Amino acid sequence: MSRPEPLPFRLLERFLPSSTADAVVGDLIERQLTGMRLWRETLVAIWHLRDRAPKEVELMSSFLSDLRLAARLLARAPTYTAAAVLTLGIAIGATAAIFSVANPVLIQPLPYHNADRVMVVWERDRDGSRSTVGFTTIRDYAAHSTTFESSAALGDWQPTVSEGTEPERLQGLRVSSTYFHTLGVQPMLGRDFRADEDVPGAQRVVIIAYALWQRRFGGDPSIIGKPISIGGTPMPVVGVMPKDFDDVTAPGAQIWRVLGYAVTDPYACRTCRHLRMIARLKPGVTVERAQSELTKVHKAIAAEHPEDYASPDALVAPLQREVTLQYRPALLALGTAVALMLIIAIANMTNLQLARLVRREEEFAIRTALGASAPRLARQLLTEAMLIGVLGGVAGLAVAWAAIPALVRQLPPQLPRLGAIHLDLAALGVIGAIVVVLTVVVGLAPRRGRRVSNIADGLRAGRRLTGTPHSAVRAGLVVAELAFALMLLVGAGLLARSVIRLLDVDKGFDASNLLTLEFNAVGPRYPANEDVFAYHDKVRDAVRALPGVLSVGVVNQLPLGGNLDMYGVEAQDKPESDPAKVPSGDRYVVSADYLSTMRIRIVAGRAFTPAEERDTVNRIALVSQALATRLWPGESAIGKRIRMGGPERPFRTIIGVTGNVHHAGLDATQLKQFYVPERQWFFSDDTEMLVVRTQGNPTALAGAVRRAIQQIDPAQPIVKIAAMEEVVAASTAQRRLALTLFTCFALAALLLAVAGIYGVLAGNVAERTREIGLRAALGATPGNILRLVVGQGARMAVIGLGVGLFGAFALTRSLRALLFGVGPNDPTTIVVATGVLLAAALAACLVPALRALRVDPSQAFRSD
Amino acid sequence: MLGELEQIVLLAVLRVGETAYGVPVHEEIVRLARRDLTLGTVYKTLSRLEEKGFVRSYEGDPTPQRGGRRTRCFAVTTAGRKSLESSLATLRRMAVGLDVGLEPT
Repeated sequence: MSRPEPLPFRLLERFLPSSTADAVVGDLIERQLTGMRLWRETLVAIWHLRDRAPKEVELMSSFLSDLRLAARLLARAPTYTAAAVLTLGIAIGATAAIFSVANPVLIQPLPYHNADRVMVVWERDRDGSRSTVGFTTIRDYAAHSTTFESSAALGDWQPTVSEGTEPERLQGLRVSSTYFHTLGVQPMLGRDFRADEDVPGAQRVVIIAYALWQRRFGGDPSIIGKPISIGGTPMPVVGVMPKDFDDVTAPGAQIWRVLGYAVTDPYACRTCRHLRMIARLKPGVTVERAQSELTKVHKAIAAEHPEDYASPDALVAPLQREVTLQYRPALLALGTAVALMLIIAIANMTNLQLARLVRREEEFAIRTALGASAPRLARQLLTEAMLIGVLGGVAGLAVAWAAIPALVRQLPPQLPRLGAIHLDLAALGVIGAIVVVLTVVVGLAPRRGRRVSNIADGLRAGRRLTGTPHSAVRAGLVVAELAFALMLLVGAGLLARSVIRLLDVDKGFDASNLLTLEFNAVGPRYPANEDVFAYHDKVRDAVRALPGVLSVGVVNQLPLGGNLDMYGVEAQDKPESDPAKVPSGDRYVVSADYLSTMRIRIVAGRAFTPAEERDTVNRIALVSQALATRLWPGESAIGKRIRMGGPERPFRTIIGVTGNVHHAGLDATQLKQFYVPERQWFFSDDTEMLVVRTQGNPTALAGAVRRAIQQIDPAQPIVKIAAMEEVVAASTAQRRLALTLFTCFALAALLLAVAGIYGVLAGNVAERTREIGLRAALGATPGNILRLVVGQGARMAVIGLGVGLFGAFALTRSLRALLFGVGPNDPTTIVVATGVLLAAALAACLVPALRALRVDPSQAFRSD
Repeated sequence: MLGELEQIVLLAVLRVGETAYGVPVHEEIVRLARRDLTLGTVYKTLSRLEEKGFVRSYEGDPTPQRGGRRTRCFAVTTAGRKSLESSLATLRRMAVGLDVGLEPT
């Protein structure tokens, strides 16, 4: 009889009313069932016969009384409660906020029909980089691929709407007629583009976004079929996209028109790689299969036209991955950081709860003596944890609710799905899940220590000589907190050093006191290139005449402005048969005073003269040092001749070499550039940038500059007015945002870890008052006692930092994409972060240590 | 009108007679009704019948082959017997003239 009963019988006795349990277990023993059959009988019996109503009522009422007790306890310790709820609220809220950003961007499928089948197709250059594609290539890919259900070409388009009110520059796309079908969306009003509209010479029709329709056309459904003036040309609106349509290939796009290319068009050639391609896979086709087929297709086309393909391969990749590629590392790093902070906050909460438990041992002992069972007390602790967890969750909800809109404002506007970032059900689910985990961890942690079972021991609590229950668990938690805090500090330190290095980079121009804006000249008033250039001249003259303006220049694209307009540069004396080996340079089509206005250095030769600006016969150019060195290493570039835009374009003579400018980003390594006077380029650009060197604060002049330009032609929109320093800052926005958030998380982690170490030591000193007094009475010096307390803290700190170092190595590897000028294991950063954390930890030790020193030896013998 | 399971269990209790507790009642059902019921289902039905007043239960004696646990014995009450008879009579009336294998008595 002493043998323990099999588990099924114990379960039956646990869950069935005792007389029923006796009968059922007896029957089961008599039938000598074993194995699966026994379990089946057990589970069915429990299901049918379990002692239900009374137990549930009892549980409910005991839960309510537990809840009341927990609420009273928390209300009695308002500081503790506030600190706990605030800490949890920040950690939970930050987690929910970061999740809310990452979820639509990285996790949720794009809001298109079967979005997982939509792919982006690139040409893949020899260095593995993605390249846009020429129209003829897109046509060939589509014709030869059997894995695509449909495909479409798309190119950027920034039209000016001059209909009705203020002229306005819009973000748009020129697309194949199959574009929306390929994405898997339809207009909500009107119709999609037709194939017969996607040919040269067809009437140009547009589809507009819901927001544009509401804003400019008052949501009037009769807009369908009506022409609107786009850059002076009337184009009928054939459709309006649905309200929730978000074009991730061009975030913020508000208007679409058909591409209307034919293969015979000069800009449709295979090397005219300025279009993007999307494709929808047939059902059941894997990305791998599409990729292997397209590789074959590309190789066959390239073999047929070897002179046209620098790219050895093509790339098929899911649309969602491609459009979020550049944001993924930052989001993943932030996700990791916020998760670490959350873990620290939960560990801290567990620690606080354990500390309180030690002080409440007497209460539990009394309740046990009065008949409370161990499960009953455990439920009480779980209820308390749940109450704190739920309060923390509510605070977290408030934090997330406030933080998400603020975060969205800081995010780069090009981030796909930006509009879908809000506090949604998924975020609420995350908060709920955190609260559950928190409740379980904090509520059950005490059970891992020692059960409060020995009543006598409990009642003697406070008179114990040494040692407390849970002290090992608590020290372990502090060690973990320190380790995670170090990881975050190292991460924040690396990002900080990267941003400092980045802002220290020699940009190649002087960004101070420089106003920039985008303007253009489109419409019937500017039929020829010369009309456009004349307009540019007038704008420059008008702005230069303003008081406070030192000089003015015009350029087609601004360094760090986010444009990537590059051309291959061929040297006349070094013909290159392999198109892959022709270097590309940033194209700057400028007015003569651009270089001096930007204060770009001339390192050899000379800049353009105002006379050369109008000279269209003697073709000239300047090149950057990087381009000069690439084409003529060890030689002077002055007097050499180069050609851009293909064999049909003329060669031009290099008259000077400029310093390198950081164009694509402060971290750019591509520094090859060329400069050409605007009247010498073979077309006039749709949009131009004006750069204005001012005497004082450049933004103070913004209004005057705008008015001066609008007086010349009020129909032309002026956008993106900003000081160049803002443009530079915006180019580092993603890194700075990552840095700011990381720093916040790291500081919170530091604070929590230090609070943790302080809490453990302070609790320890309070509990060991008697021991310390005894030691002092027996002749321990203040130094001995100091060592006793600080030594304990130092041990935790050293172990925590040791573990944290390994963690930091792992974490910073994921940060690599965000770093600049520092390695992921930068020793300075690691040493400084470790030092900061160690100093903070030791400072946290000192307060309890000093308290220990003040212990009066007589306390050792006093009894309360 | 009793449910089918209730009829079967009532009949089984009647068949076993005096020592009608879980094991023999269950065996009778498995043997004659050819159903692989679990004990739990049998007990569940019995307790429902008891609530309706169709059976009553009393504690039997513990035996060594049951690990010293008491049996719970069941007996059909007069009300239970009447209800059963009325159910079966209903079935027979309904089956009259149909070739469904239920002979009227």
